[in-house]
Parts: sequence; C-alpha cells; structure tokens
Amino acid sequence: MAAPHEVRVILQDFGKPDSHTIGVYEAGGGYKALKKILVEEKDKWTPDAIIEEVKKSNLRGRGGAGFPTGLKWSFLPKGNDKPKYVVCNADESEPGTFKDRYLLEELPHGMIEGMIIAGLALNSNHGFIYLRGEFYLGWQRVEAAIKEAYAKGYLGENILGSGKTFHLATFRGAGAYICGEETALLESLEGKRGHPRLKPPFPAVKGLYGCPTTVNNVETFAAVPHIILKGGDWYAKLGVGDPKSGGTKLFSVSGHVKNPGVYEVPLGLPLKKLIYETCGGLREGRKLKAVVPGGSSTPILTADEAENATLDYEGMAKLGTMLGSGGLIVLDDSTDIVEFTYRIAYFYAHESCGQCTPCREGSRWVQDVLARVRAHDAQSEDVDTLLSFTENMGNGTTICPFADAVVMGVTPIVKKFRPEFEAYLQRTEAVPSGT
Amino acid sequence: MSTEKTYQFSPHAEARFKELETKFPQRSSLVIWALHLVQEDVGYIPRDAVDYVAQRVGVAPSWVAGVVSFYSMFHEEPIGKYNLNICYNASCYLMGSDKLEECVTRKLGIKPGETTPDGLFTYTRQAECLAACGKAPAIQVNEEYYEDLTPEKLEALIDELKKKG
Ligand SMILES: Cc1cc2nc3c(=O)[nH]c(=O)nc-3n(C[C@H](O)[C@H](O)[C@H](O)COP(=O)(O)O)c2cc1C
Ligand code: SF4
Ligand code: FES
Repeated sequence: MAAPHEVRVILQDFGKPDSHTIGVYEAGGGYKALKKILVEEKDKWTPDAIIEEVKKSNLRGRGGAGFPTGLKWSFLPKGNDKPKYVVCNADESEPGTFKDRYLLEELPHGMIEGMIIAGLALNSNHGFIYLRGEFYLGWQRVEAAIKEAYAKGYLGENILGSGKTFHLATFRGAGAYICGEETALLESLEGKRGHPRLKPPFPAVKGLYGCPTTVNNVETFAAVPHIILKGGDWYAKLGVGDPKSGGTKLFSVSGHVKNPGVYEVPLGLPLKKLIYETCGGLREGRKLKAVVPGGSSTPILTADEAENATLDYEGMAKLGTMLGSGGLIVLDDSTDIVEFTYRIAYFYAHESCGQCTPCREGSRWVQDVLARVRAHDAQSEDVDTLLSFTENMGNGTTICPFADAVVMGVTPIVKKFRPEFEAYLQRTEAVPSGT
Repeated sequence: MSTEKTYQFSPHAEARFKELETKFPQRSSLVIWALHLVQEDVGYIPRDAVDYVAQRVGVAPSWVAGVVSFYSMFHEEPIGKYNLNICYNASCYLMGSDKLEECVTRKLGIKPGETTPDGLFTYTRQAECLAACGKAPAIQVNEEYYEDLTPEKLEALIDELKKKG
C-alpha cells in the first residue's frame, strides 16, 4: 500500500508476494521495454535514440552525485575497438541509506532490465553487479533473477532473436565503504584493494580492465525501463519541483519518525510533507531538531531550515546541502547531537582508504577530538581547531571526495549546534544516550 | 605444523570457482571471489589459503594478502561461530543500539573484538551502516540480518543460538 504522496513507479510491485520473481515483474509490464526496443519498434531504438530518451527524462544518478544519466552514457566512445562494460553500483553503504537493499532483495528485475537496456545503448555485451558483501539475501535474489532472465532469453546470446548479446554476472564486495566510490569499486572488481583512482581518466574512457565503462546506481538502472516504456517526457514531468529534477526518487527515511522506511515520491516534494504525512510524523510529544537529508555525507539541516525545504537537487543546493542518496535521518529533540556526530566521525575514521594523508590523518583526528568532547575532556579551543582544520582537509587535496564527505558530514553539525558541544565541555557527568 | 594439511577448495568451492572462471574477462577479478569461497569453507582465511588463492588465480601472494587485510569481512584469524555485528552507526544509535551492545557484554561477558571462551560468539562493533536503518537498531549475525531489535529480542536470539551450539 502506498503511503500519502507516494507515486510508485520503481516500487510498483513492492510488497506483493514473490515480488522478486520474474512472473510478478512481467505481470506488471516487466521486460516490455526490452521487447519494445528489440522487437516491436526495433528500427526506432538505435543506441543514440535510447540515450536521447534517457536525456529527455532528466534522470539523474541516484547513487549520490546526481549526475545526468543520459549525459554520462553519451561520454562513452562510440567505436568498438575495445569491449565496454556496464557496472551496477550495489555497494550501498552511505549511512542512512537502505533503498538499494530493498530493490535487490525485493525487485531485482527492474535493475536487470535497466542494465540490459544500458548495454544496448552503449554497445556493451557485459555487465557486472557489484553488491556489498553484507547483502547475502540480496545477492541470492539477484543471482536467482539473473538465472530467470537467461532462461527467458532476456540475457545471453541473441536476446529475443535480435542478434544482440548481453551477459550479466555478480560480484560480492567484502566490507569497505569506499568501494561505493566508482573508481574504488572498479579496482575492487578487478580483485584489488579498494583504492580510488586519480581522475581523469574517467571510467567512461578508462574503466573496468582499462575499457570504457559506465557505473550507475541500482535505482538509476531500475528507472530506465519505465522511461523507455512511457517516455522520457512522461518521466520528467513526474517531478513537482524544479524542472531539472525529473521523476520520482526513493527516500530511505530513518530515525525518529513514526513510520520509517523506503518511500517513492516525486522529486520536489516538500520535506515536511514527507516527514509529517508520508512517514506519519514524529513520535508523540516530540519536536523536530534536525534532518540529515541525503546520507551522512550531506550537511545537516536544522528544524528551521527544514521548514521550507524541497526534496530536489536544486532545493537542497539552495540550503547549502545535497539530496545525496536520499538517505534521510530525522532527529527529534531527544537526540544527543554530540554522540550522534561522534558516531558519524567514528565511521569515517574507520573507512578512509588511507591513500591520502589529509584524509587518513584528518578523519582519525576528527574522531579523536570528538571522542574527547564526548568524554568531557576537551577545551573550547579544540572545537575551534576542529573547524579551522577541516576547512583544509578536502577541497581537492585528495584523490576522491571522501575527505569532503567527512567535512560535510561533521562540521555543519558542530557549527549549527555548537552550544550543545560547548555544554558538553562544561559537564562532567555522562549523558544518557539513545532513546 | 608439518602434519597439517595445506588448504585447498572443498568440492563445492571448487565447482563454484570453475563456474566463476567463465564469468570474468580477467582472472584477477577472481581474487575476492576465491577468498569468499575460502571463508565459506573454513570460517576465516588461513595463511596457506592466501598462497593457494594466489596460485589458483595467478597473482602474487602479496596481492592476495593485501586484499585480505583491506576488507573488513575477511578474517585473518578464526572467529566465533556466530559473529554478532552490532551496528554502531548514526540511525541505529538514534534508535537505541547502545542497549544492544550493553546486552551482549552483560550476557556474554565480551567487549567489541572479543570472542567467548567457548568459541561460540564474537562481538563486532560494525562501523559501516548495515543499510537496515529503517528497522533500526539492527545487527547482522553471519549472513542474516536481525532488525527492529530490543535487548529482550537479542537475548532470546543469543539463547537460541547457544542452544543450537
Ligand atoms: C565515498 C563515496 C561513496 C559512495 N558510495 C556509493 C554507494 O554506496 N552507492 C552508489 O550508488 N554510489 C556511491 N557513490 C557514488 C559513485 O561514486 C558514483 O557516482 C555512482 O555510482 C554513479 O551512479 P549514478 O550516476 O547512477 O548515481 C559514492 C561516492 C563516494 C565519493
Ligand atoms: S580521500 Fe580518503 S578515501 Fe579518498 S582516496 Fe584519499 S584517503 Fe582514500
Ligand atoms: S545506521 Fe545501523 S543500519 Fe544504518
């Protein structure tokens, strides 16, 4: 059952029994887009036509960066002198984000059909799905879905008699947040440590095994069949905010709301509607304190800032933050913000890949300072040092944006809730934590 | 040590490895897959398995060793039969994961990183969010997720696992 404001496109079969099986997916129109491209309208759907349709939809990458998907695909060279690869980023590990896990476990076929269509658009015969190692059930479901798709002739050689080939295989990560960064993911997929690569060259030119590659998020691929089936214009118009933010978006809502979960709503929905109507509001007697809008790496919004925020890329940018992965963490007035911040810092300190000194040392140091604040063992100057130090931690001095993510995830909280950090410095007793 | 058999894939792992060999255009991709197979076989990555994987895939043992040490899911030493990964991240914290940590320490007498003397349980503080935040607090025990937990439910789970042994 859809909640208020939900518009279910990707999630249309969510909650149905056996939603992960091919029968349920086909009954809801699954693999029709593929048939349209390869059989019914096969003269119309050249690779360029597919890319144009995706451009028209204003679909932007759902993994966090929000880069336009059609444009990203158009960067792959047209020639066929090297193999090309389609890679699905199913490494979901941005704190506060859990939508891809549901897609993998409950609706794997949408992603698979989207990847096959990407393969046709990019003249690629090979796709890989990189799942984070913890997703065991998701991996089993994806494996089973791939087998079903092969059996039906949607994957393999001569798909639906078209002469086209696309093979799909899974890969399991092994516990490293940084492998969600696309070049670290490719290193990992090549069997190495997950160390991000210096860019350029971008994966579109030199990706997996040195060949042109697109890396897209699970949700991004899952939107593609609907765009082909109903049209890019139709998809774009689903958005209700800035016209540049097309379509619906999955939001993973967690924290202090009555009904946390994954919801699919039009981009541009007011944040308040999502919290108070879709998610049933806060628990009784509680007031909103803050919202992390798009996963732990996106700057926090105070309750005041959240008041008029809209859930699209532009609306978030106006408030100095980002839509990110759509991992919304809602904090009510019972939250100990210092401990909350420490948990985020603890995570980053553990997950830096260690290649760049500012990131490796900086993220550890941020954690150390917050550990001292939390233990009532820091001075007010320490907080100042933290803020001035982090100004220089990212800003293009590192190989990948992880260092910036640490800064964006931590410092806005310290700045916006500084009195609570100061209060910790003065107290000597421990503060009760959690709910 | 000389009496100890050196590691090689179980028949099941061998069959899986052969299948995986057909799926990747370059063999180096098999390193991480092969390590997963080893860990499924013996529960951790013994030193001789590092050499074995290197030889089977065709890369240097130092490559494989570097991979083992990079990824948190690969264990270089044996761990408990049940690995209790308790999410320490933001959303689980908001929903009371501290009470789960406290419950494990009280019930099993172990702190993060420790294993019970009977070798049954290891308690891991999970730094990475488990992507279960909507049903926080959450833990993972080996491959399985347990969500919407309370200390009472966790206690019952631990009792059940103890009984299973
Ligand atoms: C530190 C870091 C972690 C990331 N983690 C993920 C992730 O877990 N899942 C994901 O899809 N993208 C993640 N990304 C974004 C990817 O680098 C990449 O932009 C994305 O996979 C592209 O797909 P999209 O265009 O469909 O969003 C991460 C980026 C960074 C810098
Ligand atoms: S910024 Fe951090 S995570 Fe990214 S490459 Fe450098 S050390 Fe690794
Ligand atoms: S914070 Fe624990 S599962 Fe996300």
